[in-house]
Amino acid sequence: MKYTTIINNKTFEIEIQRDGSLLVNDKVIHVDFLNLDTSLYSLIIDNRSIELAIDESDGMTELLVNGRLFEAQVLDERALFLANRRGTLGISSGEIKSPMPGLIVEVRASTGDVVEEGDTIIILESMKMQNELKAPIGGTISEIAVKAGQTVEKGHSLVTIAPND
Amino acid sequence: MTDVQQKNITKVLIANRGEIAMRIIRACRDLGIGTVGVYSDVDRTALHVRYADEAVHIGPPQPRDSYLRMDKIIEAARRTGADAIHPGYGFLAENADFAQQVTDEGLIFIGPTPDAIRQMGDKQSAREAVRRNGVPLVPGTEAGLHDDDVVGTAEKIGFPVMVKAVAGGGGKGMRVVNDLESLPAALKAARAEAESAFGNGDVYIEKMLVGARHIEFQILADMHGNTIHVGERECSIQRRNQKLVEESPSVFVDDDLRERMGKMAIAAAESVNYVNAGTIECLVDKDKNFYFLEMNTRLQVEHPVTELVHGIDLAKEQIRIARGRPMTYTQSFLNPRGWAIECRINAEDPYNNFIPSTGKINVFSSPKGPGVRVDSGVYSGSEISPYYDSMIAKLITTGDTRQEALLRMRRALDEFVIMGVKHNIPFHINLMNSVSFIAGQFDTRWVEERFTMGTYESGPTDDDLELVAIAATLHSHRRRQLAAQVVAPAARDTSNWKWLSRWERIRR
Repeated sequence: MKYTTIINNKTFEIEIQRDGSLLVNDKVIHVDFLNLDTSLYSLIIDNRSIELAIDESDGMTELLVNGRLFEAQVLDERALFLANRRGTLGISSGEIKSPMPGLIVEVRASTGDVVEEGDTIIILESMKMQNELKAPIGGTISEIAVKAGQTVEKGHSLVTIAPND
Repeated sequence: MTDVQQKNITKVLIANRGEIAMRIIRACRDLGIGTVGVYSDVDRTALHVRYADEAVHIGPPQPRDSYLRMDKIIEAARRTGADAIHPGYGFLAENADFAQQVTDEGLIFIGPTPDAIRQMGDKQSAREAVRRNGVPLVPGTEAGLHDDDVVGTAEKIGFPVMVKAVAGGGGKGMRVVNDLESLPAALKAARAEAESAFGNGDVYIEKMLVGARHIEFQILADMHGNTIHVGERECSIQRRNQKLVEESPSVFVDDDLRERMGKMAIAAAESVNYVNAGTIECLVDKDKNFYFLEMNTRLQVEHPVTELVHGIDLAKEQIRIARGRPMTYTQSFLNPRGWAIECRINAEDPYNNFIPSTGKINVFSSPKGPGVRVDSGVYSGSEISPYYDSMIAKLITTGDTRQEALLRMRRALDEFVIMGVKHNIPFHINLMNSVSFIAGQFDTRWVEERFTMGTYESGPTDDDLELVAIAATLHSHRRRQLAAQVVAPAARDTSNWKWLSRWERIRR
């Protein structure tokens, strides 16, 4: 099986061969990868031993190694083909989702506005705190799905930003 | 005062949840005292419910319908035959009416008297009380003044000043004012905010100390007239008035300052005839002038750092005092042994403006080994709900020196695995690597004004990324293989349990 794995904007071509060895960017690597507990894994490569906690959410693989969290996108050949066609490969999504249930206090942008990465778009009140939700990418606001005063559930899509070309 | 009535405590109801409920249950277990937990709808599976001897359901998730319902909590105590109530921190811990009602029911409130809570709970009456005992206060005005008088005083004490609400808390009704021109508008805004938040628009101003540290003293007092202090805690690492890291002792406090501040802290507590555990919070400027800020009339979140450097169990001592016994200690604690640092592990995303994160904790594996203590109320599989505060755990490390405690903290943070919710461990790792923190050079504004996540974060090497990419790929590959195999029939056509019992029968 051939996979394309993208992590921190770096791409790795990884092929899992029939004998269990790997071809990583055309180099043969032998790995020992064990599942220890629900999400806990041990990986030994060239005597280097690391422990990882791995979880999948929203099509991304999250990995925690020594207190550091990585997000990887693992695509098989079919998914790679589709991503290439949609032009979404390696581009972080311009969608702001509600990270928790809460109340929309303020919407600071309108459809058609041009925003920079890091601009505060929405103020969401939850856990007795006002939280600023920021634009994950720069671009033009293509859709605003909520208005002030509305309560939202976790994962509710709030705003969509179309990336600039 | 030898006529203090000794009371018996055989069962304690803990009117709280999370890690502090666990902490108090453990203290009770150590003392052979029975425990009663209370829980809301969403806390049925919480750790404190599992650990308590008895557990009583008290209502819906919203705190005002459960953990803040005095009637339900007192009713739960009556029904289970508890003879004392420990309020923990937050919720009803600093509510004088609750302490009064508990006492009126003939139950023991493990904490100070309702009167002491009331006096220290109102900022203005607290200032008046401690001033009578010669405790220094941050220069400022009385409450209830007309705006013109406030402006006049502000000119006298100098800018910047803080406008604060008398009934305030949590930063509401609080304003920093840098010059005379913006003061009238700030007063107006603060009054409006305080009026809507607390129904009391009364405000006062205080001189803002630049470069000040937040240093607090632990107090213990019994009913026999003994009041001691248990040393200081350094709590300057804060964000939006929320403490994130605490340590004891403080790099800034020398023997002379400890002795002077300790005396002041005892005088402050004695001004309201304080009994039980409490904390005197102070601001200390760069010239080591100190000023009373407020008194917290409860056990603090950060009490473990004090316990570890002084070898004392504060929760147990609280129960002993509530029983009417003299304290185990009669001398103040002037000589800390070694160093302790606490990091508050919160479900907040440090890369995204510290937004709280909710959801299920899939993996929770806490660090172990020498010099490591973890106080927490969660486990693998438990939920972080949006109804309560976002603290997941307190990680405390100790060492013979600050250096050793700090290095152990780095090790323990690396070892800590929490998955499922975003958390601030990366923040703490960065903090432990920052030159200013290592050197002990910081004030209460430092995290907000000068600390950024990126500064001490070295990017991962290509080798690291390759390892992680391989793990991600193998993980996804196995998931997909598994998904494809689900349709295949099980190798054994009966459940494993049945199969096991058959196998056991054969072996007989």
